[in-house]
Amino acid sequence: MTSTTDRIAEIERDALAALASAEDDASIEAWRTRVLGRSGELTGVLRGIGGLEAEERKAVGAEANRAKQVLEAALEARREAVRRAALASAEADALDVTLPGRPVGIGRLHPVTQVRRKILDVFERLGFQVIEGPEVELDEYNFGALRIPEHHPARDMWDTFWFDEEVDGKTPLLLRTHTSPMQIRHMQSHEPPIRVAVPGKCYRYEATDATHEWMLEQVELLAIDEGISMANLKGTLEEWARQMFGPGRKVMLRNSYFPFVEPGVEVAVDCFACPGDDPACSVCRGSGWLEMMGAGMVHPEIIEAAGYDPERYTGFAAGMGVERVAMVMLGVSDIRDFHANDPRFLAQF
Amino acid sequence: MLVSLKWLREYVDIPNDVDVDDLAHRLTMASAEVEGIQRLGAQWDRDLIRVGHVLQVDPHPNADRLRLATVDFGGGEPQTVVCGAPNLQAGQRIAFAREGARVRDGHSGKEMTLKRTKIRDVESAGMVLSERELGLSEEHEGIVVLPEDAPVGTPLAEYLGDTILDVHIWPNRADMMSITGIAREVAAVLGATVRPPSADYPTSDVPASEAVSVAIEDPALCARYVATVIEGVQVGPSPEWLQQRLRSAGQRPISNVVDITNYVMLELGQPLHAFDLDTVRGEVGVRLARDGETLRTLDGVDRSLAPDTLVITDEAGPIALAGVMGGQHTEVTPGTTRILLEAARFDPVSIRRTSTRLALRSEASSRFERGLSPDLAMEASRRATQLFVEVAGGTALAGAVDVYPAPAERTEVTVPRRRLDTVIGVHVPTAEVVSILETLGFEVLETDREQADGAFRIRAPWWRTDIGIPDDIAEEVVRLAGYDRLPAAAIRAAIPAWEPSPMPDLRDRVVDALVGAGMQETITYSLTTDEVLLRVMPREDLEVIRPLRLKNTLSSDREVMRPTLRHAVLETVERSIRAGAERIAVFESGRTYLPRRGGDTEGDGVLPEEREVVIGAVSGHDLDRWGRPTDRALDFYDAKGVVEALFDVLQTPVTFQAAEAFGMMRGRTAHLLVGEAPVGVLAEVHPDVLDAFEIGQPVLLFEVDLPSLLPHVGGRRAAQSVPRYPAVEQDLAVVVDAEVPAARIQAVLEGSPLVTSARVFDVFHDERLGEGKKSIAFAIRYQAPNRTLTSEDANREQAKLLKRLEREFGATLRG
Repeated sequence: MTSTTDRIAEIERDALAALASAEDDASIEAWRTRVLGRSGELTGVLRGIGGLEAEERKAVGAEANRAKQVLEAALEARREAVRRAALASAEADALDVTLPGRPVGIGRLHPVTQVRRKILDVFERLGFQVIEGPEVELDEYNFGALRIPEHHPARDMWDTFWFDEEVDGKTPLLLRTHTSPMQIRHMQSHEPPIRVAVPGKCYRYEATDATHEWMLEQVELLAIDEGISMANLKGTLEEWARQMFGPGRKVMLRNSYFPFVEPGVEVAVDCFACPGDDPACSVCRGSGWLEMMGAGMVHPEIIEAAGYDPERYTGFAAGMGVERVAMVMLGVSDIRDFHANDPRFLAQF
Repeated sequence: MLVSLKWLREYVDIPNDVDVDDLAHRLTMASAEVEGIQRLGAQWDRDLIRVGHVLQVDPHPNADRLRLATVDFGGGEPQTVVCGAPNLQAGQRIAFAREGARVRDGHSGKEMTLKRTKIRDVESAGMVLSERELGLSEEHEGIVVLPEDAPVGTPLAEYLGDTILDVHIWPNRADMMSITGIAREVAAVLGATVRPPSADYPTSDVPASEAVSVAIEDPALCARYVATVIEGVQVGPSPEWLQQRLRSAGQRPISNVVDITNYVMLELGQPLHAFDLDTVRGEVGVRLARDGETLRTLDGVDRSLAPDTLVITDEAGPIALAGVMGGQHTEVTPGTTRILLEAARFDPVSIRRTSTRLALRSEASSRFERGLSPDLAMEASRRATQLFVEVAGGTALAGAVDVYPAPAERTEVTVPRRRLDTVIGVHVPTAEVVSILETLGFEVLETDREQADGAFRIRAPWWRTDIGIPDDIAEEVVRLAGYDRLPAAAIRAAIPAWEPSPMPDLRDRVVDALVGAGMQETITYSLTTDEVLLRVMPREDLEVIRPLRLKNTLSSDREVMRPTLRHAVLETVERSIRAGAERIAVFESGRTYLPRRGGDTEGDGVLPEEREVVIGAVSGHDLDRWGRPTDRALDFYDAKGVVEALFDVLQTPVTFQAAEAFGMMRGRTAHLLVGEAPVGVLAEVHPDVLDAFEIGQPVLLFEVDLPSLLPHVGGRRAAQSVPRYPAVEQDLAVVVDAEVPAARIQAVLEGSPLVTSARVFDVFHDERLGEGKKSIAFAIRYQAPNRTLTSEDANREQAKLLKRLEREFGATLRG
């Protein structure tokens, strides 16, 4: 008996000493297998007590269990100590947090897409449905039905790309100069009430410079219903300006002329980048106002041509250049950058 | 249009408390945009730069080309200065600068301070100035000679200074193409009154009708023709005041006859033409040109006249292109004494057509084509005739030959009060409506008496040819009442019925998915050239498609509408490489333009098909931990990963089928199929094509044709619950013929009801496997929806699957 309990004490003493020198998870696990495992030292002792007297067996068993509990507690404590030590060492071995992260390939929307979507999101919230239409158009839709007949001086407002072929040998095809043809197309296939926003590419036969491009995107608005007034035009555009450029924005209308509206106005939004009178302001250049679009009340002849009662229905239309809005919003100074597709430019948005 | 404030003030009083910026702003808000303000002479020192009088001119003792001018400048002793100008003469009134004045250097054009200096040993402390030295123009040939009545000693800023407004006139406002027209708008904006110029003049007793007769053949093309006759005219330079006016409007004085017609055009807006009456043979006619007729115009060009050209004729034939250009035969020359002055109202379309066709658009044609009032012809005729009498020494014959077959009624418009309020959106009181309209020259014949069902009856002034409907009146009212009066009111109406827009929705989803997969969106031009297109499509295809071709191009690299986007993305890749990009992943969503010729010519069938296509390209190298390119070039499977991610996001199963395509490498090209339907292509671009784009590294390209894809996306799919029972994972490596596509083996494996996925994780070729063989290994996940599988279950299933693979592909288990 004595020899067995001595043996247990010896195992316990040796094991505790060995555990103290186990410095990592692997040696701790090896220790556990050696001491407490199925064929471990302590287990071996327990296995050998079968031949002992009942009383002695009980005493040895109790002693072995006590030793096992001591060793198991020591094992847990050692594990925890080693884990703590490893953490402390990891924390002491500080990372250089200023080193760059591993590169992630980021995808980005083109800035014009970003701004177009933002414009359309606002109008969709205001109940405008987004529709699209053809870029290659007929004279009738781009001009004629919009009250810009051939040889009208207003044609000079839209320098036009023409194709070298005609439909039926007489109707020339052109690249639309604005999204306004969709006013006509939509009215032909719909009855009031109408509230649509039309995004799309347009083309102007004009020399390019920092603020002019021959290919551009527009967003056209058209709202027709009973009782639509210029105050609704102003209210809609002011709400749009606030959602685009921040609360408190105001719009300013001034007299203008487009053959397909009457009255016709230019619409400006007050500068969001300065109090309105900073001559050094890079956004408004001290004018306090940002010209955004042309607009007006749909000409009653166009309402009538659509088959609607012009006495009953009125409407407004507006058209803005997406690149123009994008330049103002994003601080882009040369419109040609949008189509140059230089990755160093595009990566900024 | 350039508007001199000095000139403008002759017709309207601008109160002193209205400064130029304020005036410009108010015009811009209510009337027409002031695009620029030029302040002439604002920089001239009032004390040091004055009107001078050249008392005496003496030769310079030491230089032949220089002279000494003694100048009285209205204060102190006259000064003697050295002057090199050839046009200097004693007695002239000139612009004189004294020591210390800021002027421009006549040679460099830079600003400088005038200093006392010695020129060839003669001291000079002042300067007789040229236009360039005054900053008026680049003219430095001679000095500025002022009118003889210029008051000596007056600050030049006062005498010659001016403010020029550059006003943009809308195409509908013919009446505003004139100083008096602007004056009317200024008066309305400021609440001032207009003073039209007087047009009274003495005449001889002989009526003009004895000297000339006029016949209009087609009154639709010439509503009115007013002819006056002035005799005894002396052709010569115009008086200085008239020249100055022309210069202020950006025109160059020529001779009194030409200057008077230009002056009246600028003042009143009516283009005029002066004929040498002695060269006109018989009756003057207005008609369309006849076949074979020709005319030598003022510019010396012999023109054969198209039959829709409106011409002025005499008995011998055409003598002028009506409203566009005069003929050389009847041109006023220095010897001319008898003038036939034409003031007419020509058809705007006819003038525009002719002037555009002959590329002779001018100040005159731009006024005619806006549609002038016939009343203006008489006003302008009288004013110009008066000037011929006053400044060209002429004697006017009495009256005018006025051919006006159908005198126009003044436009009357009835404007219901309800319409006015509806269009504007705010109630403008009756008294204010009346006052606004009256300041603009309208006559209010009846008012609404502030009744909701009342109406205004309004007569437009003769010059307002743009007024026709009630909404025109609404614009007049609201622009002068001020748009700031409008409330910002939301639309109070039901939102129209929503309609689905499947194509734009799909396009946005595709774009978002590609951005999510790390691709940069780009936007390129829709126009390109045949030459570029031939790099990416066979000539036969291009000849069948025959892309739409522009008639007028801006540059030779933008001629045809693109029928594909492949060239566009390769151009973008080339640009990215040039910009130094190491890892390129770009895409574009845009339209291709495919002509539809013949066939259906009704409705939109005549327009080309505008087809939404998405194109992407991947090129360059993977980046290492530091963002530097690694040795691993991006390859087919990088691009395929993007395509798979796209279809994963679209929840649309896509398969890849080996294929061939123009400009793509054989053996590295796949069609994208959804079910049986081809929806796109994925390929490595052929190096020959890349060479044409000057790209020196592999490029992987993919293209998705959205109309083909559209019918296959968006179907309803029930979501699957996450499996509740654990999976057993086992690997399986088989040896098959090298040609057997992995996807077919995968399909067999995944066809098992117990397999939830079988993913390839290793492929290798080795001669030890046998000739033309490859090993392909799958990680297979076995899982049942209703129980926990054991590894024995998985083994049994795997044995069955292996038998199938043996049967279908001759596969053997890799030992």
